[in-house]
Amino acid sequence: MDAVTYPNPSVAEFIEENMVPLRLAFNSEPESIVFKLRWTPTLITLDAEGEEHHRTVGFLPPEELIPSLLLGIAKAHFDRDQFSEALSRLDKILADYPKSASTPEAVYLAGVARYKSTHDPKFLKEAYERLQAEYPSSEWTTRAYPYRLL
Amino acid sequence: MHKTAKINWATTLESALARARAENRMVLLDFFNPG
Repeated sequence: MDAVTYPNPSVAEFIEENMVPLRLAFNSEPESIVFKLRWTPTLITLDAEGEEHHRTVGFLPPEELIPSLLLGIAKAHFDRDQFSEALSRLDKILADYPKSASTPEAVYLAGVARYKSTHDPKFLKEAYERLQAEYPSSEWTTRAYPYRLL
Repeated sequence: MHKTAKINWATTLESALARARAENRMVLLDFFNPG
């Protein structure tokens, strides 16, 4: 991460403009115990109360880190029923990083967020149809499979 | 367009959470191996 990803200007700019970056050594206590750290690098998205919403383990290149962080921010808002805020980040993933590893989950979560904010099941079916068309081998396509019947 | 080249990392959870509350942002917590 230090050699490739964090020095990337787009990564640094995204983090500085959108998040509060915090680095702790793997053996920091009590944090490594509280967050059940097992390996490095482990990247966790926390809300301002310290609650965890998203976690990745292992190296991420620049083109994967930014959509992963956007997904983490979106999940933090989603978990608090802040669907508009979540959808703005999810839609950015879909528009700007369509080939990232985070994108299928973003499609799924966007469908769920739109359903929860409107109670219209068409958004769940649309999410499945997009996953099936664009990411047929993703686990998120499998998770959305029941929505094909809506 | 100017792009920031450096990430200014907080070094304590308390300070990061305080800033997150003040700026209405999420925290990126990176557990790393300093070697």
